[in-house]
Amino acid sequence: MTKSAEIKQVAPPARKRDLWRRALGAREVGVLIALVAVIGVFSVLNRNFLTVDTFGDILTQAAELGIAAVGVTFLMIAGEFDLSVGSNFAVAGVMLALLTTRLGWSPFLSIPLVLAAATSVGFLNGVITLGTRIPSFITTLGTMMFWRGIALAITGGWPIYVLGSSRMLDLLGGMAIYQTVRISALWWLIITLIFWLLLVRTPYGNWTFATGGKPEAARALGVPVGRVKLTNFALAGMLAGFAGFTQFGRMGSMSPVWGDGLPLEAIAAAVIGGTSLMGGAGTILGTVLGAITMASIRVGLIMVGAPSYWYTAFLGAVIVVAVILNVRLGEMMTWRR
Amino acid sequence: MAPIALLEARGISKTFGKVRALHRVDFHINPQEIVGLVGDNGAGKSTLIKILTGVYPPDEGEIYFQGHRVHFSSPKDARALGIETVYQDLALIEQMSIARNFFLGSEIVRRLGILPLLDSRAMEATTEEVLRGLGITSLRSADEEVRVLSGGERQAIAIGRTLHFGAKLLILDEPTSALSIVETQKVLGYIQEAKRRGLSVIFITHNLYHVYPVADRIVVLEHGKKVGDLRKEEASLEDIVNMIAYGGTQA
Ligand SMILES: Nc1ncnc2c1ncn2[C@@H]1O[C@H](COP(=O)(O)OP(=O)(O)OP(=O)(O)O)[C@@H](O)[C@H]1O
Ligand SMILES: [Mg+2]
Repeated sequence: MTKSAEIKQVAPPARKRDLWRRALGAREVGVLIALVAVIGVFSVLNRNFLTVDTFGDILTQAAELGIAAVGVTFLMIAGEFDLSVGSNFAVAGVMLALLTTRLGWSPFLSIPLVLAAATSVGFLNGVITLGTRIPSFITTLGTMMFWRGIALAITGGWPIYVLGSSRMLDLLGGMAIYQTVRISALWWLIITLIFWLLLVRTPYGNWTFATGGKPEAARALGVPVGRVKLTNFALAGMLAGFAGFTQFGRMGSMSPVWGDGLPLEAIAAAVIGGTSLMGGAGTILGTVLGAITMASIRVGLIMVGAPSYWYTAFLGAVIVVAVILNVRLGEMMTWRR
Repeated sequence: MAPIALLEARGISKTFGKVRALHRVDFHINPQEIVGLVGDNGAGKSTLIKILTGVYPPDEGEIYFQGHRVHFSSPKDARALGIETVYQDLALIEQMSIARNFFLGSEIVRRLGILPLLDSRAMEATTEEVLRGLGITSLRSADEEVRVLSGGERQAIAIGRTLHFGAKLLILDEPTSALSIVETQKVLGYIQEAKRRGLSVIFITHNLYHVYPVADRIVVLEHGKKVGDLRKEEASLEDIVNMIAYGGTQA
């Protein structure tokens, strides 16, 4: 009781202003503004944009990106990148498709097996990066090409189709859970909640921030910096693989060329959402909003009938604006203290 | 009748290639004592500290902790005995909150099944309590990010952390060199408070005026040799200044 009295004494400014400052200082402010702007623009251009169906579409479109981006966000906060998530995504989807259709394996065996393989691919990125001390931007550029090649080689470059539907496909991504919202969006939600908890409420999350923020300091305090990075590489691989599963489930087929834009889109979602390119800062909520913003642009452009190549240009513009907002707001908050 | 020293080093020598960084240096610090370690650039202060904390092995010489011979093969060994070093960069992570920095690597958790969950409230309350105990008046909340803090406040976190986690000896390498006069005064206050709580402190500095007010004893190094070791009762500030200026010959 004396404590709260003391706090008031030394920090007289009203709580209200503090709340305000906190809200404005939150890393997600930039992306929220960007998202509102995007929704505003498309709502004006097409009156059907602001409907439940469209929003369901957006969530469905965002799910695979969102799932992979969660892993990428963890890794970026720890100060590393993974450009191979798109290839990992393709290999995992293709392997699951091959095992369950061509070889007739049970999903109960195939899913854990392929997920373990995707996790290992991520782990291997970590081993190579930490072992050679080459920046992960380069090492994973290499593994990106390598695993894409593998995906193409095992399929001969052709998509794998599933004839008819299956319980597995339905549960992974095919089933609609509410109007236009597919079950993949539910997976995304579950994964987001788990990883949000991991990031902000556990020592592991704390170590991840510290590892990316100032590795020498973290190490000096006993944080196993190398292990934290390795684990995050592995997690990024696992989530990329799982995103491949939901894509396969949703489409009922899997192509070895899918997911080639995924690595940069995942980084973009994270960065739009306030994750630092330098490591040490970022939020899961920001990345979720980033993925939703990007999917909104994609769906919105389709709805207004713009040719699909506008997506890239529009996205580029939004990334730049959101990042500027993030940096400026961050500076403003430091300065106002 | 001298008490058993908390940490004692005898005859420490260290060379780096052709540079003789330390030559037969004896050094000790008693329980609850503040020792100022002063000397010019390159005098060997940091090297001595690195040997006392297990960063380098000495080429020659012995180290005793509470009367027992010890061999440090890494800083971990020294930390295990309660010897904590706060370097100038302070091992603080700017973008993380004060409390999270404070407890980094030793987080307070509550278990939810197998999942260890951070007890943020407990960590924040403890951090605020420790920092206020050190005499910080400007702290708003322990969940603010470290980057908004002043240099002196940052020192307080690093000092408070060692205090809270049960260190016996706190070593500060140039803690005040980047601080304003006011901030320096505050840090000197934190150091005295740490002593009151039972810690010994080695305070390394170029600036004798920073350490003289709080030190119990001043040790002067010059070109790798100890040229002075004076209790404050025995020597005025002027004596020590002279000793630094003219080397050990005047003392
Ligand atoms: N790792 C090293 N390799 C080679 N020479 C070193 C090394 N560390 C210190 N030295 C040399 O040993 C001597 C003592 O250096 P030391 O860093 O201990 O001095 P200092 O008293 O801490 O100086 P300052 O006040 O500048 O920090 C210097 O000549 C320095 O160049
Ligand atoms: Mg030095």
